[in-house]
Amino acid sequence: MGVTEQGLLERDKDTMTLNMGPQHPSTHGVFRVVLEMDGEIVRSAEPDIGFLHTGIEKTAENKRYVHCIPMTDRLDYLSPPQNNLAFCLTVERLLGLKELPARADYLRVIMCELGRIGSHLVWLGTHALDIGAMTVFLYAWREREMILDLNEMISGVRMMTSYIRVGGVAKDATPQWLDGVRKFIDHVPAKIDEYESLLTNNPIWLDRTRGIGTMTKEDALNWSMSGPVLRASGIDWDWRKKRPYSRYDEFKFDVPTQDHGDVYDRYLVRMEEMRQSREIIKQALDNLPDGPYKIEDNKVSLPPRDTLHTSMESLIHHFKLVSDGVKVPKGSAYVPTEGARGEVGFYIVSDGSNTPYRMKLRAPSFMAIPGMCKMMEGSFIADVVAIIGSIDIVMGEVDR
Amino acid sequence: MTNEEIKEQLEATFGDAITHAEVSPHGECVIRVAVEQLSAVMEDLKQNKDFDYLSQITGVDYLEQDREPRFDVVYELFSLTKDRHIRVHVGLPEDEPTIPSVYHLWRGADFPERELFDMFGFNVTGHPNMKRLIMPEGWEGHPLLKDYPLTVEEIAFSHNPDHKSELIKTQEDVKADPWA
Repeated sequence: MGVTEQGLLERDKDTMTLNMGPQHPSTHGVFRVVLEMDGEIVRSAEPDIGFLHTGIEKTAENKRYVHCIPMTDRLDYLSPPQNNLAFCLTVERLLGLKELPARADYLRVIMCELGRIGSHLVWLGTHALDIGAMTVFLYAWREREMILDLNEMISGVRMMTSYIRVGGVAKDATPQWLDGVRKFIDHVPAKIDEYESLLTNNPIWLDRTRGIGTMTKEDALNWSMSGPVLRASGIDWDWRKKRPYSRYDEFKFDVPTQDHGDVYDRYLVRMEEMRQSREIIKQALDNLPDGPYKIEDNKVSLPPRDTLHTSMESLIHHFKLVSDGVKVPKGSAYVPTEGARGEVGFYIVSDGSNTPYRMKLRAPSFMAIPGMCKMMEGSFIADVVAIIGSIDIVMGEVDR
Repeated sequence: MTNEEIKEQLEATFGDAITHAEVSPHGECVIRVAVEQLSAVMEDLKQNKDFDYLSQITGVDYLEQDREPRFDVVYELFSLTKDRHIRVHVGLPEDEPTIPSVYHLWRGADFPERELFDMFGFNVTGHPNMKRLIMPEGWEGHPLLKDYPLTVEEIAFSHNPDHKSELIKTQEDVKADPWA
């Protein structure tokens, strides 16, 4: 770069390279993107990830299956139960477990849908904050606090619950907890309406989101988008409907879709998803069956604590499971599930021992980043923030 | 077209290139393809069998299982319009782990293929932007290989004045004295 006769900097090309992130409040974690700017307009966007790499896939190869569950919480840390569920379903398929007790499945569904609402609340708050609507952020955090309290009540932990285990769930739900969930679902519909009254018809919100970051049906498929992004582009695909797991086929709910595939449509889809999740939780609470909360095969799940003092067999099973862990038959499996951000699934290869030979996470945010950068091309720089927010990336599962 | 029909059609079209094919009880077709024919098979799956959605690409290193060939690359493909699922396994030899890119068929292959190179060191030919993805530029080795040691990374800098780098255990130390 030289200096012109007028003393101005001489540019050697027509575009400017602009670095965004990794330390940027609107990239939702440590995500860096290098933008090639032509004035205000983004010509190309080059993603750079890996700042949060913790080597979870490598670590898992040296840990027993039960030890992997707390690590899966830390992948998508905004909706941990769905990661637990995807992992446990895959291990259960490898173990050849056909059916779980109905109560275990219903409790799993309640936890996952609470996780989905909690995750969407974080998305809504931060997305609105990025675009300039500060109030929604504070409101969304208020409702999320109730979910965190419920998490704490049932698992003892506010975020990284590790509640879903291979063969069932960690602990039975108490009547107090079920009351708490009922209070939450009675409370939340009015609050979702409140958020919508702030945003849905707000002219500033419409200007900032409509027609921004548009992705057609074909592009969304081709770029491996999943979840709300795919549905906002007009593809009616939900793993809970198409490949029902955990008795999702026993619940009545709609899969919201939109046609334009822009930031506004993704907003609408997620808002409706929160309402549908609430419907699912309501049905699960109304029809919650009695019975065991995990399978009674003590070679897979721990025997009840009080039997340890009276039953030799329980003691042996307990000792074997805690000291050695469950041995998973040789083979490989992949079970796709619908997480808050899209298709979550673990591809697990087992060599017949008590540790996974290879564990690979199919992370929706990881797969969505190239498509997201394609959306940025041709948009204004101010809209880059709106686009990142609308994809709802979580760097924990991108970098793993 | 059911999974059985897809399997039969693939076997009829590609013959010996499909070394193994089965329909699993979970509604997915699982095939194993010779790497030379991978591009043709993938093209056929996309164009004629409507597999429009690439879910993921995974590498597996079978070093500890003494298997020939050493590596596997696994493609998880779905058809969202026709509701189909196929898993394609491709074996890669240790001395020449080269695999053609499927980026021209599914743009979603961009990151997973870069990850294959980053984590396993596979040579993916035909990818427009092949470089490390998660590990930093200039990193030595490919972490998900089974012979890549699991060690503690040396701390680059510390604000702790008492920090001593000799306290960090490496894989060799752990092997020499596991109880230290």
